[in-house]
Amino acid sequence: MSEVVSIYETNMLNIFRCEFEDGTVRLCTKNLSPGHNVYGERLIRYNKIEYREWNAFRSKLAGAIMKGLKESPLSVGSRVLYLGAASGTTVSHVSDIVEASGKVYAVEFSPRVVRELIMVAQRRPNVITILADARFPQRFRTLVEAVDVLYVDIAQPDQAEIASYNASLYLKKEGHLLLAIKARSIDVTKEPEEIYKREVEKLSSNGFDVRQVVNLDPYDKDHVMVLAKYEGK
Amino acid sequence: MKIYLVEHAIGAFAFNDRGELVDYVHNNKEIGKVVDYLLENEEGEPLPSSLELVKKVGAEEVVVEDEREVQKLQAKAGVKVTYATSHVGARKFRESLESFALSTHFASTDELYNYLHQLSLELTRRKLRKAAQRRDLLAIQAVRAMDDIDKTINLFSERLREWYSVHFPELDKMLEDHRQYASVVSRFGYRDAIGNKDELVELGIQEAKASRIIDVARKSIGAELSEADIRALTSLSDSILRLFQIRDELNEYVDSVMREVAPNITALVDSSLGARLLSLANGLDELAKMPASTIQVLGAEKALFRALRSGARPPKHGIIYQYPAIHSSPRWQRGKIARALASKLAIAAKIDAFTGRLSSDQLVDQLMKRIEEIKTKYPSAPPRQESQKQESQRQKGKRERGRGDRRRRGGRRR
Ligand SMILES: C[S@@+](CC[C@H](N)C(=O)[O-])C[C@H]1O[C@@H](n2cnc3c(N)ncnc32)[C@H](O)[C@@H]1O
Repeated sequence: MSEVVSIYETNMLNIFRCEFEDGTVRLCTKNLSPGHNVYGERLIRYNKIEYREWNAFRSKLAGAIMKGLKESPLSVGSRVLYLGAASGTTVSHVSDIVEASGKVYAVEFSPRVVRELIMVAQRRPNVITILADARFPQRFRTLVEAVDVLYVDIAQPDQAEIASYNASLYLKKEGHLLLAIKARSIDVTKEPEEIYKREVEKLSSNGFDVRQVVNLDPYDKDHVMVLAKYEGK
Repeated sequence: MKIYLVEHAIGAFAFNDRGELVDYVHNNKEIGKVVDYLLENEEGEPLPSSLELVKKVGAEEVVVEDEREVQKLQAKAGVKVTYATSHVGARKFRESLESFALSTHFASTDELYNYLHQLSLELTRRKLRKAAQRRDLLAIQAVRAMDDIDKTINLFSERLREWYSVHFPELDKMLEDHRQYASVVSRFGYRDAIGNKDELVELGIQEAKASRIIDVARKSIGAELSEADIRALTSLSDSILRLFQIRDELNEYVDSVMREVAPNITALVDSSLGARLLSLANGLDELAKMPASTIQVLGAEKALFRALRSGARPPKHGIIYQYPAIHSSPRWQRGKIARALASKLAIAAKIDAFTGRLSSDQLVDQLMKRIEEIKTKYPSAPPRQESQKQESQRQKGKRERGRGDRRRRGGRRR
């Protein structure tokens, strides 16, 4: 593999760009659990700090950043409610970004992937694993607090509603929503553009001010990432 | 008075309609207990701390967050209960979880999150265990299948060796390893085709040995075979190689299932020995009920019963003999290490079966310390006299054992 030439922070806090000798540029984050990777990603030591490469083909948030997301709502100490944590690929990078003082409440309902998620959480004290259905947020009320960021990637047809419901319970006013929309899981018969528009409208009528819609192609085909600010209902 | 009830892992909190904290009752800090409460709470059962709180403040009406809790709380606390998602108390509390934990002296911020982290892991493992529903049985079947495959591989390999020896008799002694032997037959067929050292090395055979095999193949005294003869032979060797491959896959599978259903046992011994223990005990719950002394001799039942009948020395270890630190240690240390391992296994099995906790680091540490201790305390064999006495006792045992066996056989005929 090609050598690292330099690593520098992007205009987003705690999100870095790594330049390799062969000219390629990849995103990376500072590893909160040094010595361990999560999904086979490369570990990079640079100026005595260990970084983890953040693969835009594996993580929609990285894809969105590569495709021009204008601002990142994550900062050190952020509280994040993450719906659809799966085996923890993106969760681990969010955990890196918010650092030890931040918290990631990672909700996932499939036992199969949660088995892998808890392996990740064991090494990351800022990840609180929640095996539960995001459609019933009251059922995990005993484990969470109000959050600064709601991240939703659950590939469900009614995810805009699920996101809004969770926001009404747990998202702080002025907090941010990151919502990944997969056109095919919402309606296979409609054009993706039409679907995105309708989903954005749903968010607007539920108290969100939609800031940006980022198309994730080629990292994920027929996907967008929506960044919105919550004004409350 | 009407209160807005907030239930959280740290306790139950009552707010008034202006969003001010009226009173609270903390949960027990013992994680195992709280896990039980939260599991029930998810099904609509009020927390014990909530019941205590409602009584303590003398509430006449309680507003809860989950609809399913309305009836249960009403019945248990005998007060009027309604529900509202995201009520004043709920918002207030969750926006300042840390400061409520601090001001009510539950814990510091670090302690609070440490507690939530531990709790979430344990709660999740408990839920996985429920969802898993006896996935230990899968590990047991898979490890038994591995044993069946091993037997089959041995049987087929013996046959292959005899058969191929008609053509290349010298190879049998030169390659002890069944997998390498079958690979050679599959790869080359005719012994005359064995001419390239690199190809043999690729199969995992050492260079020196590879050269010798090539040499011997040239001078072999075996019979000549036809194409059809060779094809029949290689179809058997191919099957053996396929069995090895299945065995590898099963091994990996057993490993992943064991890490999930019995992470603490798997950390102490490797996954296939762990699965064999589950197999001998017939399940994780069964193993968890066994005392360490039973676990120590699991798999050596025959020898144990023989000893009990005849008064001979009982076996020091059953299947756990496979644990490297036991079989690679001098004989006089083995029994002590076996006892230490068995006692840790008994604890690990209980943790795996009844909690979602991961205590493997501690268990492994303690075991390693104990093994170290045994090694330094008993570096050499016990004095001669001792061992002679033991030896003669064993001889006596053997004799009696012989008689015992005969008696038993007589009994069976009746
Ligand atoms: C596309 S994957 C998420 C990938 C992940 N966000 C990442 O980037 O690493 C969607 C996940 O959402 C989960 N999911 C779908 N519906 C859910 C629900 N109602 N509650 C919780 N999780 C859900 C699925 O089980 C799946 O693991």
